[in-house]
Amino acid sequence: MAEVIIRQLTKSFGDNTVVKSVSLKAENGEFLVLLGPSGCGKSTILRLIAGLEDATSGEILIDGKIVNFVSPVNRNAAFVFQNYALYPHMTVHKNIAFPLATAGMPKPEIDAAVQEAARILELSHLLERLPSQLSGGQRQRVALARAIVRKPAVFLMDEPLSNLDAQLRQQTRLELMDLHQRLGITTIYVTHDQVEAMTMGQRIAILKDGELQQVAPPSEAYDQPANTFVARFMGAPPMNLIPVTVSGSGSAWTAATQDGSVELDLTSMGVTQAAIGARKSESMHFGVRPEHLSLAPSGTGLSGKVRFVEPTGSDTFVTVQLGEANVVVRCAAHETAKVGASVGLAVNPAKAHLFGADGWNLRTK
Amino acid sequence: MTVLADGDGQDLLALERRSSSLRSVKSAASYAVLVLFTIISVGPALYIISPAFRNSKSLFSYPPQWLPNEFYLGNFQFLLTETNYVRWAMNTLIFATGVTLIALVIDTLAGYAFARMQFPLKKTLFGLILATLMVPTAAVLAPTYLLVRFLDDVTFGLVGIDTYPGLILPMTVSPLGVFMMRQFIETLPPGLYEAARIDGASEWRIFTRIVLPLMKPAIVVLGIFVFMLQWANLLWPLVATTKDETRVLTVGISTLQGQFVTNWGVIAAATLITLLPITIVFLFFQKWFVQASVAGALKQ
Repeated sequence: MAEVIIRQLTKSFGDNTVVKSVSLKAENGEFLVLLGPSGCGKSTILRLIAGLEDATSGEILIDGKIVNFVSPVNRNAAFVFQNYALYPHMTVHKNIAFPLATAGMPKPEIDAAVQEAARILELSHLLERLPSQLSGGQRQRVALARAIVRKPAVFLMDEPLSNLDAQLRQQTRLELMDLHQRLGITTIYVTHDQVEAMTMGQRIAILKDGELQQVAPPSEAYDQPANTFVARFMGAPPMNLIPVTVSGSGSAWTAATQDGSVELDLTSMGVTQAAIGARKSESMHFGVRPEHLSLAPSGTGLSGKVRFVEPTGSDTFVTVQLGEANVVVRCAAHETAKVGASVGLAVNPAKAHLFGADGWNLRTK
Repeated sequence: MTVLADGDGQDLLALERRSSSLRSVKSAASYAVLVLFTIISVGPALYIISPAFRNSKSLFSYPPQWLPNEFYLGNFQFLLTETNYVRWAMNTLIFATGVTLIALVIDTLAGYAFARMQFPLKKTLFGLILATLMVPTAAVLAPTYLLVRFLDDVTFGLVGIDTYPGLILPMTVSPLGVFMMRQFIETLPPGLYEAARIDGASEWRIFTRIVLPLMKPAIVVLGIFVFMLQWANLLWPLVATTKDETRVLTVGISTLQGQFVTNWGVIAAATLITLLPITIVFLFFQKWFVQASVAGALKQ
């Protein structure tokens, strides 16, 4: 186990800067997820930590030591690749044994270590098979076994589940979480799948265009997004963002659209009177998750027209047109609405957010 | 369901007939072209079988005789007893095998370096190597001969005219081989190298333990290609050998042609048994050729 710290890390390929001064810390034994859309620099950060790329500037520390100029093998980090990267001409046994054989470990010790890794990942009956004779899930387990056999201080995983089908992905996700609980090895896990991030990560670091947007436990990133990007990226359907103008004074403030207004609960929203007072002239966005909205009789709260009704079995999503914006409401499965009907929208003010013109949440903490 | 008028049905039928006959014509044309090319490429090889088993008198009988009346083995007997054929065959084997082995070592190493390693002037050097493909063999024959003559002096005859090293070494450098190996290595997933680096493997270990085993199809194909090319090489051995006992088969067979009289039966017999080993080698490894040619297309 070890902590991983990156300080002001920047990586450029020619004129293209893909990681922009990112600072981050993964605690001892933590499961930290790097989350973001394609091209946001999350895999590059992982490769920089592994030593597969050289940083343009900034520092990488593993277990308190700067490792910028340390070779990949001496960083004591194991990497699990998206496409497994198993050696196709070697049996499962030889694949798992490869790092140990390379390190010059005696054969009896290698065999014992391979057997132990195979036992942990339930691969003992597959040791003499070639990777081509394994299923996707089994290959992924071999890749994990090859990683754990070295007893690394840090696990680096680059979208290891993305090549698996939905069912296998869910099963392997649980296996990975179980493995982390048993071994307690610091793990940095890259994904673009917010469900994976929410379910697996103890903390999530959300990236966009090479810049860190927010680092928080999953529930905090979901409930208190730092900006509109995080608000939209986390959750499916994403948070509704409605353009509003704010007005008021003291503790009584209102967010108004052309189709109604909402009383703001500044205390619950974590917004100070000073902050909203200073920025009231900005064009702001009022953010609220679909589950914090409910359909109400026409004329209540915000008013709009029902455009779509999407029953999913467990919930029904109702899309309501509110001025120029489409707002999604998560309703109970049995609740129905008629397309084209005028409805009101009741907002849970304690769960709402206000984002400034720069996209950042006005919340102070 | 669409309902067709009677006229529409007849039109469709006629269209179907026309496209069917067009397909037949296209198919017949393709076969004709293929048969023509097969005759051009295989014909001469088949043509030597008959004279090899006939005596020299019957070769010039009139009207021409295509198949032998009797199975005459005198040409082969003459070849094996009255000429240095066995020695030439041994020289050819050593020459072709030597060139193949050394070329494979050079080409795989150079291909790996150009595909995976970073070094100054990499692109320029690779461009220069490829540029040598445009230089005709005949153009470098004289300089190569002079170089080997020079080496003859400085190596005290170790590498020189009428020596195996002098015969083999100039033929081991092949831009095509370097290019082929580089292209093949580039099709291997980069994740394999990165995984091996993280597993602590040195560049040499990555090359020998990961890359080389995966290159087996490409190595076999290049090996056969080089071997066959050198087995049938005439130009350089003609220049690099002057003595009968250092000659290779191609040069040796050419000396069987006399100034005034030529025994074509003996030449046909010599050509036939010279072609036999490389034909067998090719047939044996044919499936590797096919595998290697589709490997790049299928590899993820």
